[in-house]
Amino acid sequence: MTDATPEAPSLALAARSVTKRFRGVVANDRVDFEVAAGEVHALLGENGAGKTTLCNVLTGLYRPEEGYVEVGGRPVRMHSPHDAHEAGIFMVHQQFRLVQSLSVAENVVLGWSRHGGTWFAPRRVEREVAALAEQYRMDIAPQAKIWQLSVGEQQRVEILKALYRGARILIMDEPTAVLTPQEVDQLVGTLREMARSGSAVVFISHKLPEVLAVSDRITVLRAGRTMGTVGTASTTARELAHMMVGRDVVFAGGPGSHEVGGTVVLELEAVSAESDLGTPALVDVALAVRSGEILGIAGVAGNGQRELAEVIAGERARTAGRVVIDGKTQEGKPWEAIAAGLGYVPEDRMGVGVAPGLSIADNLRLKSYRRNGLILHNKKAMADAEELIRRFDIVARGPRTLARELSGGNLQKLIVGRELSSAAKVLVVSSPTRGLDVGATESVRRLLSESARSGVGGVLISEALGGVFELSDRIAVLYRGRVTGLVDRKDADVDHIGLMMAGQAAA
Amino acid sequence: MIPISVRFEPRERLSRWTNVWVPFFAIVLALVIAGIVLAVSGHNPITTYQQIIEAAFTQPGAFTQTLVSTTPLLYTGLAASIAFRMRIWNIGAEGQLYLGSIAAAGVGLYLQNLPAPVVVIAMMAGGAVAGSLWAAIPGALRAYLNTNEILTSLFLNYIADYLMYYLIFDSTSFWRDLTSPAARVFPQGKFLPASGNWPALSIGSVTVPLGLILAIVLAGLLWGMIRGTRYGFEMRVMGDAPRAAKHAGMNIRRKILSIMLLSGAVAGLGGASQVGDFRHVLDPRGLEQAQFGYTGIVVAALARYNPISAVVAALGIGVLTNAGLALQGPNFPIGLTGTMEGILLFCVLGSEIFVRYRLRIGRTSGPVAPRRAEAAPGPARTAAEIASTERRELAS
Amino acid sequence: MSGINANLGISIIVSAILYGTPLLFAGLGELFAERSGILNLGVEGMMLMGAVSAFWTSQKMSGPSWLVLLVAVLAGALAGALMSLIHAFLSITLRANQIVSGLTLTIFAGLIGMSSYLGSVLSLGDQAGRHSFSDINLFGLKDVPIVGPILFHESALVYASWLFVILSLVYLYRTRTGLHLRAVGESPRAADAMGVNVTRYRYIHTLLGGALAGVGGAMFTLQIATNWIDGLTAGAGWIAIALVIFAFWRPDLLLVGAYLFGAFLGLGYDLQARGFTAIPTEFWSALPFIMTIVALVVASTGSMRRRLGAPAALGLPYAREEG
Repeated sequence: MTDATPEAPSLALAARSVTKRFRGVVANDRVDFEVAAGEVHALLGENGAGKTTLCNVLTGLYRPEEGYVEVGGRPVRMHSPHDAHEAGIFMVHQQFRLVQSLSVAENVVLGWSRHGGTWFAPRRVEREVAALAEQYRMDIAPQAKIWQLSVGEQQRVEILKALYRGARILIMDEPTAVLTPQEVDQLVGTLREMARSGSAVVFISHKLPEVLAVSDRITVLRAGRTMGTVGTASTTARELAHMMVGRDVVFAGGPGSHEVGGTVVLELEAVSAESDLGTPALVDVALAVRSGEILGIAGVAGNGQRELAEVIAGERARTAGRVVIDGKTQEGKPWEAIAAGLGYVPEDRMGVGVAPGLSIADNLRLKSYRRNGLILHNKKAMADAEELIRRFDIVARGPRTLARELSGGNLQKLIVGRELSSAAKVLVVSSPTRGLDVGATESVRRLLSESARSGVGGVLISEALGGVFELSDRIAVLYRGRVTGLVDRKDADVDHIGLMMAGQAAA
Repeated sequence: MIPISVRFEPRERLSRWTNVWVPFFAIVLALVIAGIVLAVSGHNPITTYQQIIEAAFTQPGAFTQTLVSTTPLLYTGLAASIAFRMRIWNIGAEGQLYLGSIAAAGVGLYLQNLPAPVVVIAMMAGGAVAGSLWAAIPGALRAYLNTNEILTSLFLNYIADYLMYYLIFDSTSFWRDLTSPAARVFPQGKFLPASGNWPALSIGSVTVPLGLILAIVLAGLLWGMIRGTRYGFEMRVMGDAPRAAKHAGMNIRRKILSIMLLSGAVAGLGGASQVGDFRHVLDPRGLEQAQFGYTGIVVAALARYNPISAVVAALGIGVLTNAGLALQGPNFPIGLTGTMEGILLFCVLGSEIFVRYRLRIGRTSGPVAPRRAEAAPGPARTAAEIASTERRELAS
Repeated sequence: MSGINANLGISIIVSAILYGTPLLFAGLGELFAERSGILNLGVEGMMLMGAVSAFWTSQKMSGPSWLVLLVAVLAGALAGALMSLIHAFLSITLRANQIVSGLTLTIFAGLIGMSSYLGSVLSLGDQAGRHSFSDINLFGLKDVPIVGPILFHESALVYASWLFVILSLVYLYRTRTGLHLRAVGESPRAADAMGVNVTRYRYIHTLLGGALAGVGGAMFTLQIATNWIDGLTAGAGWIAIALVIFAFWRPDLLLVGAYLFGAFLGLGYDLQARGFTAIPTEFWSALPFIMTIVALVVASTGSMRRRLGAPAALGLPYAREEG
């Protein structure tokens, strides 16, 4: 290690020419990445650009095929996240690694305790955790169980785990996706506090404004390669966008390019429903969708989106209100909604959208197998499947390929294609492009806008505001289970919608 | 510290060959392990295997006896197969078979003066209905109250067992023979007259019981049902991903209950076959000792819950069970049957991972010497696979 | 009159403890295994192997009775642990279906399996037991009314089971390994991420579960029956598994449940011994199983509480996601 000067702060963490492949797909291609102590460093890139893969290499979860990782200027080899912890690296994943039935304090000391030893004293640990939370100005009750906490609070527990272990390098994967703007502010405060005290923070995101607001420096990844590192002060959103995308992505269709019909195909009247935990998740929701129209549902995750989709699909019981699909009042059974012409692309693809152990052909007839009476027509299903595979451009060996062998993008094309091919009147889509690469995102979006053009009424539920703006004719905002705003796309303003998502403004 | 990693890697393609050689080697391994157990306990494994084969095939009348052992195992194996395939863990084939026997014996005795075909068909119907109703208890509890069906169906086996004993040993029930003085001292059931004895097919020196023919037909029908009907399609989806089934609009509760009814009916038919084909009497002790229901789980698991494969598996286990009966005594104690079945199934279960994963043993490579001791040889799986398995398991 | 009733009450409690203790041992064992996320349905088989091994040891070994019994119990524990090792290897390392693997273990070791085979190879069936646990007059307090015969006149195995319940509570809630155990069964991914070796925890606690089931089985041949017959546990192993569910995976509630079901098991014998034959013996024998089903139904209707009690990852194989 050479002496660190203010101009050249000490190197905390680096990736040197890291290459990582999955089943022949290159996720990271000779990636170089350097993070200095005391900075918040944003890792920017589109979905599928290789950000998460890189972080998994940096934290020992994946082993790179080529290249290596340096910590504090020295090469290290890590075989598990535990090795990374020992090296002072800690990552907060999008899906938290928390034990729901244990308390905050228990989660914090899990696996490692300052005191070591045999015994576990809940009270003492709770006091320690409370003190730590106070030091970083985090609002949290150490004795609360994880399942009682909001998503934002759970994220704080993850950060506390890192702080408790004295992490010098904190990696946060898309930390703001699930937060309200206030929670984002609080998070940024905590991260800044950490950087001030000499830690390095890596902040993964694909959202430009937030990256510009939070970071000191920005490294851009595109298609698995490093596009360069820039100082936040000396760059612009335009430059970053160009580095990130490399070309102008043109989506076919888009709002305004199709006619909105007159007939209402989906109507919700004063619908209320409960979450899995029995708390109110939807309150008095009223919405109407006309044929050929896409209604975007914006909102921070956990404000009733999942429940809304499930209530429409008849997969969740409603406690009050009425759902009408194409003129048919629903009693709340999935088969009834399917029969009435509802197509539904669920948030969870594997296991809900498809049965992973069944073939593509079987999965393609998941919604239409009832039509032929009690006997299945296996030969016809094969032929139909071959046609759908061609039509929706699903890359697979053939209709007998198992669904679990498909990539995320092809899986989603299968699901969207299936729902569209079953003569849907209404299409409800939940987070349709989450986790997909740029190409797959484009094709899925194209499918959606084509369906609208052909007269299907769409409901697009997504946290990605960009996608919602791109595709929707009107945008409704869900906040704490209520529709807090409903605006036309052409009158909509991102900032205003953002405020509504946080419950700070009315339409 | 030698940097060696041992892990399971998912196979990129599932080849049909691994489906053949993996179970084959599992069976060979099982024979070797069972041989070691035999040798350690003072038996010559080669001699014992020879005896098993002789008792099953080559001795006069041996194959007929093997088929006698195979018949009930095919019923209980099919009962377990269709339920387990849907991840409904019906462990109750044992008790459902008892109830089938009770009902078939009762019907056979009650209708004994009717023409034989009527009696035979009534016994089958009675057995199937009784088994089905007994299975309806855990089925309904699971479907509507989400009560663990493994335990309820299992406890009902014990209850059915005591019910059988009560009918023959501790009451003056319709089933019990109270006519002869000897039967009062040593309780036994009433024997069915000829009208209740099921006919059998003779092919050369081999006698094929009606129950076996019916069971094989049933296996074919169940296979066709799973593959070619709407009901079977729903079964496959639910067995693979219950949440996808719900998403596709399937009625899960009704499905759980109906599959339990079907499974119980098959096991109950097996009980009827015990009375009609072989015993001609309600024989609590004999049925209890045979443990057909539990052994059916072995058959089903060996057949990977496929009804057609279950025919082969039932024959294989039938050979073993028959040996236990034919060779009974110091050379082949009854306990050896279960031991060998267990070893066989352990090997087959343990080998299944090799169908979907390959074992990777190798030096870990890297440019730099390890900073810490090599750690965590952990098996690998994709997130999606983990998630889907978890969901499947959760829902069952 | 009241004296007779009191005596009857005390004798019911005493027999509840006697028949409940094997349930308690086996149930505690299953509780540990399930807390680590491993469902082991082979308890019945492990108990029978424990019973036969302990009995054989006590018949073969010479020495002071207390030493023979101690070694015999350890032999039972070892046999149970070895059986659970098979299940552990299949379900943890080879990721086999835990339900099927556990059932296989019951068949392999159970009524028509290994335990019966050993019983016949070692010709234990016609032997009368040479050693058995007898009740100890603890602190000389056995003659204290009511509590004396219940609390201070029990066998060493019963005292040991009480100690085990206390140790289990301390272990689960007041040690770091206990905390890790609770995490492993609940979310192996979270525990793994924090450096807890999931595989090791699962192996150790599955083996511990097998050992305790073996001890429970040993109690049958060394105290309750004092001889060996095939399948002598008669479903106790399965009741133990059910008990873990009603006890919401907590050792203290398990103690209560074990004695409740011990009472059902003992009731039939007691009433028959007293010449009460108005209700057939089969009913009394079936009663514990009927009551277990009733209790399972009741426990499943309180679904929310159960969800909070059951380890969330119970029955699921765990493999780290890596590349």
